[in-house]
Amino acid sequence: MQRVVLTVLLGVLTAAHAQRVQAPIPIGIAVAQTSNTALLGQEQVIGARMAEKYINARGGINGTPIRLIFQDAAGDENTAINAFQNLITKSGVVGIVGPTLSQQAFAADPIAERARVPVLGPSNTAKGIPQIGAFIARVSAPVAVVAPNAIRTALRLDPKIKRVAVLYAQNDAFSVSETGTFQETAKAQGLDVVTVQKFLTTDTDFTTQVTATLNANADLVIVSGLAADGGNLVKQLRQLGYKGLIVGGNGLNTSNIFPVCQQYCDGVIIAQAYSPAQASAANQVFVRDYRAQYKKDPPQFAAQAYAAVQVMADALRVIDRRKKLTSWELPALRVELNKQILAGKYNTPLGELRFDKDGEIIQKQFYVAQIKMKDAKNGSFVFLR
Amino acid sequence: MELSQLVQNLLNGLAIGSVYAIFALGYTLVFSILGIINFAHGAVFTLGAYFTYTLVVGQFENNGLLRGVNLFPQGSPFAGSPWTFALATLIGAVVAGLIAVLIERLAFRPMRARGAEPLLALVSSLGVALVIVNLIQLLVGAEIYNFPANAYGEVRPALSFQLGERVVIIRTVQLIIFAVSLVMLAVLGYVIGRTRVGKALRAVAESPGTASLLGISVDRFILITFFLSGVLGGLAGTLVGTAFGVAGPYFGVTYGLKGLAVIVLGGLGSIPGAVVGGLVIGLAEAFVPGDYSAYKDAVAFALLFAILLVRPQGLLGRTQIQKV
Amino acid sequence: MADFLAQYGFLIVTLVQAGLLGLSLYFPLQAGQLSLASPGFYAVGGYVAAILLTNPAYAGLRETLGQGVFPLTWLAAALLCGVLGLVVGVPALRLRGIYLALATIAFVEILRVVSLNLEVTGGAVGIFGIPQAFGFGERWQYIFLFGPLLVLTLLFARQLERSRVGRAFRAIREDELAADAMGVPPTRYKVLAFVIGAVLAGVVGAMSAPFLNTWNARQGSFDASIAILAFVLIGGSRNIWGPVVGGALLTAIPELLRFLADWRLVINGLVLVVASLYLPQGIVGALERWRRRPPPRRPVPAPSPAELRGGRRTP
Repeated sequence: MQRVVLTVLLGVLTAAHAQRVQAPIPIGIAVAQTSNTALLGQEQVIGARMAEKYINARGGINGTPIRLIFQDAAGDENTAINAFQNLITKSGVVGIVGPTLSQQAFAADPIAERARVPVLGPSNTAKGIPQIGAFIARVSAPVAVVAPNAIRTALRLDPKIKRVAVLYAQNDAFSVSETGTFQETAKAQGLDVVTVQKFLTTDTDFTTQVTATLNANADLVIVSGLAADGGNLVKQLRQLGYKGLIVGGNGLNTSNIFPVCQQYCDGVIIAQAYSPAQASAANQVFVRDYRAQYKKDPPQFAAQAYAAVQVMADALRVIDRRKKLTSWELPALRVELNKQILAGKYNTPLGELRFDKDGEIIQKQFYVAQIKMKDAKNGSFVFLR
Repeated sequence: MELSQLVQNLLNGLAIGSVYAIFALGYTLVFSILGIINFAHGAVFTLGAYFTYTLVVGQFENNGLLRGVNLFPQGSPFAGSPWTFALATLIGAVVAGLIAVLIERLAFRPMRARGAEPLLALVSSLGVALVIVNLIQLLVGAEIYNFPANAYGEVRPALSFQLGERVVIIRTVQLIIFAVSLVMLAVLGYVIGRTRVGKALRAVAESPGTASLLGISVDRFILITFFLSGVLGGLAGTLVGTAFGVAGPYFGVTYGLKGLAVIVLGGLGSIPGAVVGGLVIGLAEAFVPGDYSAYKDAVAFALLFAILLVRPQGLLGRTQIQKV
Repeated sequence: MADFLAQYGFLIVTLVQAGLLGLSLYFPLQAGQLSLASPGFYAVGGYVAAILLTNPAYAGLRETLGQGVFPLTWLAAALLCGVLGLVVGVPALRLRGIYLALATIAFVEILRVVSLNLEVTGGAVGIFGIPQAFGFGERWQYIFLFGPLLVLTLLFARQLERSRVGRAFRAIREDELAADAMGVPPTRYKVLAFVIGAVLAGVVGAMSAPFLNTWNARQGSFDASIAILAFVLIGGSRNIWGPVVGGALLTAIPELLRFLADWRLVINGLVLVVASLYLPQGIVGALERWRRRPPPRRPVPAPSPAELRGGRRTP
């Protein structure tokens, strides 16, 4: 009995080893489909699905379609690792897009690195992600580049600004590093940082932070947080009587904040790593498809996930032209895909992008927009400059 | 500290404290009668807000199975006036109360009947919360929903008055929450203290055995308690939702932890205790100096730890009877 | 084999790890103390290891010790958590029942907020790039750390149960005042049980930091407290195998339900409800019952709320 089991087991395993690349070409998506990170994750799911549809509608990889395989990475490290492992071993994916949070990436990416599977982080912005290994890259720009533009724009709109209040979500890795850049830029521009207030992404009441800001007589408020907390903060700032300009960090770059701060969102200046107004053909197709389906502009998380899938598909297409994908053995293709991802140049909805040798994104354009609300629920990001 | 700053902190503290208090009322009600902590309370709170939203708006965003459904193609009959909004809130709360009754029947009563370890109720109610939260996400997605800005009519978003050199400001919606929670407390106090139902409830809480000997149907009163706790929770959910938005399926669950601190601080099972506990924690948080706001979330628990060591039965809890 | 381990190796190790955390709660429970502090000590242990293994201040130490630095992290975590357990346990263990549980939850939350704010713990991002223990290439190899730890802990728990200390624990669990009257000092034994749990959780944390490769404030949270309590209760709280079985099972279920896609966690919640309804003595308790049917007993009267509140009634 034992021998039979062993033989069967070995048979299964060797079969797995000589694995060829399946058609349609499997690409893994491991983002937060549950947990309270799902607010971000569900946008990534939408973005990735739209990319799949678009790519396959245009012939896939030179005639071979791609197939996205979703594994929920939730919001914690263990689930992310298990999702990666499922995709790598069971589903035989050629590459993975994920996970949602940087903290999860630090835990799960080394698994892919070890298995020599290329990973594209769709929203990991913490320092040190691409440096996890040769197979790890990201399409989400770290903050240092995005933030300063927004402050300069605010100063152009209101040159009299002198006193700055800085507020940030201290439990969000991205906001913490972003606020550092904001504060440095403010000081470099000769502004006084009159108060620094911290909050949590799970907070809902910001009266304490807002009254401190009002008491400090700030004439510019800079907020680094995510949609729910950032939106509530903006709303409460306005309701309690703050009149000056507000600059929102990249975490607020989503139409999800419209229902939160409603008409109070109006006028907030946002630092963007993605703008629906970006003129490239790739972006306009994406924006058109997204609007047709969801009746609003695509948020950054969806655009980044879309871009990540597109980068993989573009790179696969180049490889396929040299040697048909289905004739590759899986491990060899994964290595080749990683090489090709880093070598290529891509026209994505994020604009033109490529990667440095570590896998860090080199994004050509960043944007500053101002929120314009049509009514209580609908608004848009209006391109500035 | 200047007077204006003091008053401002006091107002801020009372406003957020009353949110904690109304959340904790339902928690403590169930504890007083069953001696269990119902982790599903946060989920019922969330449901209350979602039910009201369903009535007032009737359609959902881009994620979840209910995507594209529009309950009121002609526009919701509950939209537009503060009175219809109040009606929708009440209906939402009653439905939340019925869900709480359902939870009691399905998840708690069978356990009591089997004489299971009472602690298991923690696990079972955690399971219920997990089911509810994920069902919400499955149905309407993880997005943030917000009630129409004019839910309370055309009121000014904030009230302010001059005090010394500075202006003291408070959001109107928080004043409303504060007022409604006072009313809720008064009604609850009346029901528990003055009515026959209340007396029976107290008898059941004191000793289920004796109560049933006196001819009181214990199970029925446990159901009533769950219903009340669900209604309170659902009402609180909508109120808090109008102030901060319904921030996804985990909206109420995040209050669960602080709610625990509140009811312990006030004294487990004590209804005035839940209110006092909520206000104390709200005030303590409001008086955390700006530079230390990062530690704000630890304040409730530091207080809790300290109070427990000095006065283990909580601020308003009854003293424990020790065997001597 | 290699592929099986590659896919399920990590999961299998987390099952053992969950069992160990369950046991860390089981020790104080043996002395009748419902402590939910394990995630706090687990987090502290992980931070100790993460800091010793990555902080430049200890570069010299790491160079001198080589692989020996890993056992050192366990030792350091054990020591620190032992002392911390003593500091927290002495005042907290005056509390009973649900009050103690809530005080320990408060402890976990305070630790979490503090570690979110400290520089040395890496703030919100936490600590990353923690080197793999003994140069392990694959995560399943951590079974060589957690496995023996589990065996040792189980052996220890069995010896403890048979010893004088174990009897003292049980005496306190059954009736603290009577135990005191019979010359068993309750406070000393309660603190001892609490510290044993703290040390175990700390060592598990120290082993887990390299295992996860990263460590952050979310590792020790209220959710984890309740999850570990569920391990013990669903597994069975009266037998050493209970926490092990419960931890393994409850950790495995959400992963085994992956084929359900979006319904995964809904069903997981239902499983928790059904398990608490139908396994009132826990899985191991149910198995024991099934193996040797006990003589009919008097039904246990449902405890009154006053008793659950931690109070004892005068006879």
